[in-house]
Amino acid sequence: MIVDVKGLKTHFFTHRGTVKAVDGVDFELRQGECLCLVGESGCGKTVTALSVLRLFDSPPGKIVGGQIRYNDLDLARCPIKQLRQIRGKDIAIVFQEAQSALNPVLTIGDQITEQIKVHLPLNNEQSRDRAKTLLSDMGIPTPETVMHYYPHQLSGGMKQRVLIAMSLSCDPKILIADEPTTAVDVTIKAQILDIFRELKTKRQMSTIFITHDLAVVSEIGDRAVVMYGGKDVETAPVSELIGNPKHPYTEGLIDCLPDMSKSGDRLASIPGTTPNPLELPEGCSFHPRCSKAMGICSHVEPSKTKISDGHFVCCHLYT
Amino acid sequence: MKSEMNHNLLQLADLKKYYPVTAGLFSRHVGDIKAVDGVTLDVRESEIVGLVGESGCGKSTLARTIPRLEEPTSGKIIYNGNDIARLNKKELSQIRREIQLIFQDPDASLDPRMTVGDSIEEPLVIHHIGDSRERADRVAQLMEQVGLEAGQAGMYPHEFSGGQKQRVGIARALAMNPRLIIADEPVSALDVSIQAQILNLMMDIREKFGLAYLFIAHDLSVIRHMANRVAIMYLGKIVELADKNDLFDSPLHPYTEALLSAVPSFKPKDKDRILLRGDVPSPLNPPPGCHFHPRCHRVMPICSKVKPKQKEVAEGHLVSCHLYK
Amino acid sequence: MVETKIGGCLPNRTGLFNYYWQRIRRNKLALAGLAFIVFLIALAVIGPFVTSDPMAVNFDEKEIPPISFTSQQSTYNIQTDQLTTKDIHGTWEHPLGTDSKGSDMLAMLIAGARISLLVGLIATGIAIILGTIIGVVSAYLGGWADNILMRFTDIMMTFPFFLLLVLIVFIFGPSLAFIVLVIGLTGWTGTARMIRSESLSLRTREFVVAAKALGATDNRVVFRHLIPNVASLIIIMATLSIPGVILAEAALSFIGLGDPTVPSWGVILESGRHTLATSWWVAVEPGIMLFLTVLAFNFLGDGLRDAFDPRSNL
Repeated sequence: MIVDVKGLKTHFFTHRGTVKAVDGVDFELRQGECLCLVGESGCGKTVTALSVLRLFDSPPGKIVGGQIRYNDLDLARCPIKQLRQIRGKDIAIVFQEAQSALNPVLTIGDQITEQIKVHLPLNNEQSRDRAKTLLSDMGIPTPETVMHYYPHQLSGGMKQRVLIAMSLSCDPKILIADEPTTAVDVTIKAQILDIFRELKTKRQMSTIFITHDLAVVSEIGDRAVVMYGGKDVETAPVSELIGNPKHPYTEGLIDCLPDMSKSGDRLASIPGTTPNPLELPEGCSFHPRCSKAMGICSHVEPSKTKISDGHFVCCHLYT
Repeated sequence: MKSEMNHNLLQLADLKKYYPVTAGLFSRHVGDIKAVDGVTLDVRESEIVGLVGESGCGKSTLARTIPRLEEPTSGKIIYNGNDIARLNKKELSQIRREIQLIFQDPDASLDPRMTVGDSIEEPLVIHHIGDSRERADRVAQLMEQVGLEAGQAGMYPHEFSGGQKQRVGIARALAMNPRLIIADEPVSALDVSIQAQILNLMMDIREKFGLAYLFIAHDLSVIRHMANRVAIMYLGKIVELADKNDLFDSPLHPYTEALLSAVPSFKPKDKDRILLRGDVPSPLNPPPGCHFHPRCHRVMPICSKVKPKQKEVAEGHLVSCHLYK
Repeated sequence: MVETKIGGCLPNRTGLFNYYWQRIRRNKLALAGLAFIVFLIALAVIGPFVTSDPMAVNFDEKEIPPISFTSQQSTYNIQTDQLTTKDIHGTWEHPLGTDSKGSDMLAMLIAGARISLLVGLIATGIAIILGTIIGVVSAYLGGWADNILMRFTDIMMTFPFFLLLVLIVFIFGPSLAFIVLVIGLTGWTGTARMIRSESLSLRTREFVVAAKALGATDNRVVFRHLIPNVASLIIIMATLSIPGVILAEAALSFIGLGDPTVPSWGVILESGRHTLATSWWVAVEPGIMLFLTVLAFNFLGDGLRDAFDPRSNL
């Protein structure tokens, strides 16, 4: 295991109150695996990923508890200098909005080489060569020309690929991908998933893949962590999670997918809406929407129970 | 349920919408963005026709051209026997009551400065329906129908969640008792659990009010759940149109095949995934012949020269592809 | 640093006004500006009833310094050929002193406040209304109407309003009403451009398309949807224009184009220009008032701009 997150709590202190974006999350990333963080908007998955590299705005955000162990370091607490050396080089991140992640006034070539020169002792020509290799690895047909393009001249899919190429420029061992397939068309989605699969097989990359799409999880993930209200409610190998979900939220999520609908017209759905992070319900955050809620669920937070090897749930049904 | 029994509510005949491109000091006309390039499609009463396509295929432009929010460049839009494209403003206003739109982004489709009650009431005010008491009653009724509380009518859009805002949009569209609703990606911006609620709502009101939908989406699993018939759009043209099961079980057009194989799914794929090369070309300069030929995995020499015509290959199953004669 | 959105959560049941008021409240400078403006308005409304006539002239009491200051006045007696210097102390009777004609400074400044505020509000009012109508209509109609209106705006922008004013003063004599009119009729161009640009981006927003889909006429779209949504921009532009207008009037008075019969701050400043050595307060006091007023409106305008911008994290 190469990254071990225990009890991570990242809170945002705003004048409207404290937003407990991440409130006690555990997971581990193993060598060469693709770990998916799954959940809907507001569940804290993006903030969890940002917390690994402490990339959130520091006031108002703060890691108030837990640890992120990587290589004998606690990334949650280590000095910023050490963190900077890790960012981009050991652990890289690919953001969701390809539009805004690329600088519109610099050419693609300039942006990639900038990244390379920060971490690697290469001169201009060597950096450019490396950049070209990366672009063609990503399946971009004419790397030499693309290097001279500006972001607005590229399509959405190409931009996403450039972003991934940039993140790989310093050969990181770990890649964090924040919803890379969410804002793109179906055919591009397939291409990007293919790239991630290749990264796993050819480069033995370990990935933390954030998404809300369970179908993507089933295609590309080895293990998955389902998040709700800032907590991890269920963790399991992907086939186990989809075939044998234990937490009512996971069950609900799977059931309400159109793919999985059993009877013709109506989809199963989860009543209510995702909780307001400023006012999380007491006890188990999911209880107001849970069809299997019991008396205890509204007072006491459930603790983690082991269902089987590698399968954990936080739910009173199983404690 | 085969829907040939119902008559045609909407018929599009070779509908085109071009945006002229000008250049130079005197704005010379140098070309056209062919957003909608000859669409022939029909929607029958109470049926749901799904329209699928990726970005840039023209589906949103089509959604806006049908009620003439954009003026069509050529072609016919026949609603209930009348060609809407020819109507004057007054007659068009009548039609506007029967064809309503639901938009993708619940944040952007509601005026942030109006209460949701005012937004829902607006169509009634525009068409001078009822007095203010009757309108207030109708607004309350509509809100209940879409699953909101009537007491929330005085609140502003920013006080609601995405799913609730979309419900407001649906209530607004229902105010005039329309017969056809054009839904432009109504659930794409919503979380999965909310998406299911809204889709159920749309099915419920369709049953209750006998509505027809032109349901535009890029998510094939949603289309599969909702639609009776499905049309696939690429660069302004409909490349395939069929009953849902026919399309999903035996797709004919290579683009449809590629789309279906690209969808991430739970079930393991029997065949290898078809990965399309390249990106969608620009609607300003579509490739000659069949627009799809540069990316087609079953391309033939004729495809780069001649545009394929739409043919009915099986009952109710139309394709535009040279593979089928 | 990556900006994290913490979901747009808002407290329940707030009206629009309360929502914006909460946001403005957080900006201390804006609040200070607002407080000062309220104070100024109160002064302008109540003041004239409480103070003496600003135009009263009393040469016996000329050039008295403000309270707690002392100045020296020298008088030369021709007959005795003697220069006598005596100390004059400020008194509570004229807490801010008097000018060279003996008029009470406090009374004049208060009258001046009234004038400056009126000038600011009326001239800005004219400019904003004109600018908004032209901007919104231009954006909404588009095409040739937009072209014509914008070229007209360009011409007005290059118009030398200063020369126009000189001409008017030459022909009709200096008059505050004319100054207000000229400032108003030439100051709308900036507003027109900003409002047009904002309206253009609003026009393509989905709620405008939705309104049209419902059958709304152009009229309704403009007045019921576009204008309320540019309202915040209008308020900000107005607040930020007022100080410019007030200064413009003061500047005109300073160079002698103002209306000398009216004790606006600019006129007072101008009159104090010649006697800086002996009665510096006549120029400095209106100067301070102008400075504070302009600052107050600018702080408030900035605060409003931040409060109305949905993207700023307040």
